[in-house]
Parts: sequence; structure tokens; C-alpha cells
Amino acid sequence: MDQKELLNTLSYLSSEISRIETMAGTLSSIEKEHYNKLAGFDHNELRDVAVEEHSASRQLGTIKQMCVSMNQKITNLEESLKNS
Amino acid sequence: MKLIENYVRSLINETIDKGITRVSYDQYIENLFELVPATKKVGIINLVELVMRATQGTPVPRPLGSHLHFSPWEKLLFNPVHLFRFPTPENVGIDTSVTIGNNTRKPLTLSIPIMIAAMSFGGALSKSAKIALAKGASMAGTATNTGEAGLMEEERAAASLLIGQYNRGGWMNTPEKYNRLDAIEIQLGQGAQGSSPQRTSVKNIGEDYREVFELSEGEDAVIHSRLPGVYNKEDFIQLVRKLKDETGVPVGLKIAASHHLEKELEIALEAEVDFVTVDGAEGGTHGGAPTLQDDMGLPTLFSISRAAQFFINKQVFKKTNIIATGGLVTPGQILKAMALGADAVYIGTAAVMALVSEQMVETVPFEPPTSLVVYTGKMTDTLDIDKGARSLSRYLNACVKEMELVAISMGRTALSEVAKSDLCSLDPFLSKATGVKLGYISDEEQGRFFSESQSFFSPYSPHVEQNSGTVSQPH
Repeated sequence: MDQKELLNTLSYLSSEISRIETMAGTLSSIEKEHYNKLAGFDHNELRDVAVEEHSASRQLGTIKQMCVSMNQKITNLEESLKNS
Repeated sequence: MKLIENYVRSLINETIDKGITRVSYDQYIENLFELVPATKKVGIINLVELVMRATQGTPVPRPLGSHLHFSPWEKLLFNPVHLFRFPTPENVGIDTSVTIGNNTRKPLTLSIPIMIAAMSFGGALSKSAKIALAKGASMAGTATNTGEAGLMEEERAAASLLIGQYNRGGWMNTPEKYNRLDAIEIQLGQGAQGSSPQRTSVKNIGEDYREVFELSEGEDAVIHSRLPGVYNKEDFIQLVRKLKDETGVPVGLKIAASHHLEKELEIALEAEVDFVTVDGAEGGTHGGAPTLQDDMGLPTLFSISRAAQFFINKQVFKKTNIIATGGLVTPGQILKAMALGADAVYIGTAAVMALVSEQMVETVPFEPPTSLVVYTGKMTDTLDIDKGARSLSRYLNACVKEMELVAISMGRTALSEVAKSDLCSLDPFLSKATGVKLGYISDEEQGRFFSESQSFFSPYSPHVEQNSGTVSQPH
């Protein structure tokens, strides 16, 4: 794989990771909304679902952060490739 | 019914009258009341442990760690904001994730900064309790820790993130085991027991225990005071590098915090560990000698502030992670630990209590709730794993939600952003020691206050006798 092709691949990965990051962020907000709605019910099973939703929201938030970190690494890699 | 009531009333009246009369007239030296001042003098816990020592003739293994509260968490308060900096809007999500070992090939990313502490299968907890903790942690998106044990297949399967202890018993110390972990913690000590040796007698070792620990029939499980193979600093450095190269996961060191903290950390940094777990004197255990628990170590609060300051001085703060543990129970204490410099925390006692919370009615009043979860407990078979996991998950969720509320009130958007400047202290000595501003006076007045009261804070300066080289007290 030549350098140009490698840079293109990295660019593709970066753009897909950005998409995942956006999707994770959106889903995280939706899950959080679900938690807020479900936590208001005085029903044990619904409360358990609410806690699961909240946890899912946090885990999606974590995926978003992981995407940010991965993109940062890709940017560093692209820069070092361009400078080499 | 009335007749029985009258009879009971009369019985109580007669008994109390006789009791008061005896207490009033008996000589104090042979008076039953002497038990009250005597117990108060010795302390109820000390008295019972004294009796246990006298009966058993061996150190008594007190469960769950010291009852003493060494860390003055209640003397630190968070600072909410209103106009000077605005609170975080409620529609902005608070980032609760944390990454341990950012520079490793396989960093450990957690959804919440609270992990389940090292509590070993067999040495401490039953198989079902370990599985329930692993499931609960996975539901919350966090990690659990094996403790000083071998690799239990059921725990590995239930835990989405598993930190394993490379331990002084040697039960996790082979590549086929530690290569299956998400992070490795080299265990050289723990807050509740220092680096003292421990032994589980063969009578408390079942078939499942023997299998996980790979013990032969009739063999005790022994935790040595030193890690086998590590007899000097260079051995430790080589071990860290070997584990990092072989596995690619974060490799850290766990120690019982002490006044030698910085000297220990210096070597840990030389070995390039990815994280350090500082276990304060309030750390729990399945059972340890009370003297090890009450009279040894450094309080968790000061372990964190000192480790953070040392890392700042060495320019590795937030690069080499600090995991704090030891007596952390409330979300407030956990967030304060983070504000002082911890990246994440472990909870042990609180996690076990949360796990059994809904199920403790199965045991009380005739057995303690811990009989559901400890390896040698009488009721471990009755623990409902899924119910326990859900209780733990709910507890973790509630804790983190409370921490998020505090972060919102301080205008922060991530728990990891919470810093010392978000705290004020209610104790001048604590302020001086930790660098947290004193709450009694404004920011601008801090310098004046401490310069005017300098005599209270002047450092201890031992006078060294020039000829003898011995140290004497100042006159």
C-alpha cells in the first residue's frame, strides 16, 4: 500500500469514526431522555429499565469518547505520514 | 390479655426495681454497673476482640476493615456556582467515562469512574458473589477485580472488563491467565493488611477453590509478604516491562499507602507503570488482624492528595493514572477523591453491601448479611445472582447520578474535570496539607490568614546535633 492509499484509508476510517461518534452521541441523548421519562414511574420493573437506559446512555457516551480518542490517534498518524 | 399485660408490667417493674436497688447499694467493685465504665474505657469493639483473642489465642480476623474514620472527608465541601461561572445546562450530558492507561496498546475505558475492588474468590467471597459483582459491574459499564486469586472462568465470562491481580500467592502469574485480562494490577499490599502474609487453611478450601488456585489436596493457600520473583527494585521494573510487552493492557501497581508513599511511587514511575492503586488505611478485607487495620497505613484522603502532588511534580499527572481505594462509601467521598486527583476509584465494602441489600432479609436476625457472600458463609447458596447484580447496578447508577448533579452545580461537563478548585476546606491544617482553599475566608484573604497564623504552621525542624548526628527535639 503506497502512502497516498494509506492516507486515503486513514481519512476513510476517520470519517466513519466521526459518524459513529455522532450516532453514539445522539443515541446517548435519546437513552437519557428515556431514563428521565421512565424514572418518573412508581413501578419497580420500569425503574429497572430506567437504570438500564441510563447505563446504556453512559456507555454510548463512552463510545463517543473512544471515537474522539481514536480520531486523535488517526490525525497524529496522518500528520506523521505527511511529514515522513 | 389485660391479665398478661398486667403481669408483664409487674414483672418489668419488679426487675427494674431490683436492678436499681442492687446498683445503688452494691459496692462499686462488685457492682454490675462497673461493666458500663469498663466497657466505655476499653471500647465495645476492643472488649469483644479482647475476649476473642483470649478465647482463640490467635489474631482475630475482623471482616470489612477498620471501623475508624481516618480521612476527614466531611471537612471538604464542593463549591456550587451561579453567576461567576454558570452551572451546566441540564440538557448537557455529563461525561462520566474514564480511560486507564491511555498510552497502552489496549487502554481500559470505563463508562463510570467507580470499579469493584479486589475481593478474591475463595480467600474472601463465594463464587456466586463474584459472578454477581462481575455482572453488576458489566451492567454499569465498569470493571471488576479478581483479587488475589487464580482466574475463575465464570468471573471472566460474566465480566466485560476484568482487572486481574498479579499476586503474592502466584495464582494469576502465568501468561495463559494474565493474557486474558483487561488490565493487570501487581499486588504488593493492601490498606487493611499492609504487606503482611496471609494463609487460608486447608479446612476452608473447597474443591472449586482448589481448582481455581491450582492447589494440591491438603495444601494451604499462602500469600507471601513479598511477590515471588521480585526481590529488588530491578526485578520489579523488569516484571512491569515484561507484562506490558506481553499483554499490551494497562499494567499497574497496588500498594498499601504509607508515609513512604513518594519513595514507592518513584520506583513505580521508574518502572513506567500505567496506573497506581493507592489503598488507604480504611481499606477493607475479608478478615484481617485488627492491629493491621487500625494501626497501620496512611488515610485514603492524604494518600490521594500526596500521590497527585508527586505526579504533578514529576509531570506525569493524568498520564499515569491514580486509582484510589479504601473506605470510600458515599458518592460525595468518591467525587472528592477525584477532585483531589484520583482518576477512578474502587469500592469494596459498599459494593458488597449494595449487592446483598435487597436480600439481607434472608439472613437477619439469625445470621449476618455477609453469610450470603463470603466463601465460608452458611447461606451462599441462597444468593440470587441476578437480583444481586441488579442491586449493585442500581447502586452504581444512583452514585454516579448524584456525582453528575454535583458536577452540574459546579459548571462542569465531565466528572474528570472536577478539581481541587471545586472544593473548600473547613480545616486550616487540611488546607495546608492538600492545597484546597480554606473555606473560612475569601480567596484573597488566604495569604494574609496563613501568614498571620504562621506560627501554627511552622514546620517541624529537628535540631541535628552536629557531632553525634542524632536528632533531638527542639527546645
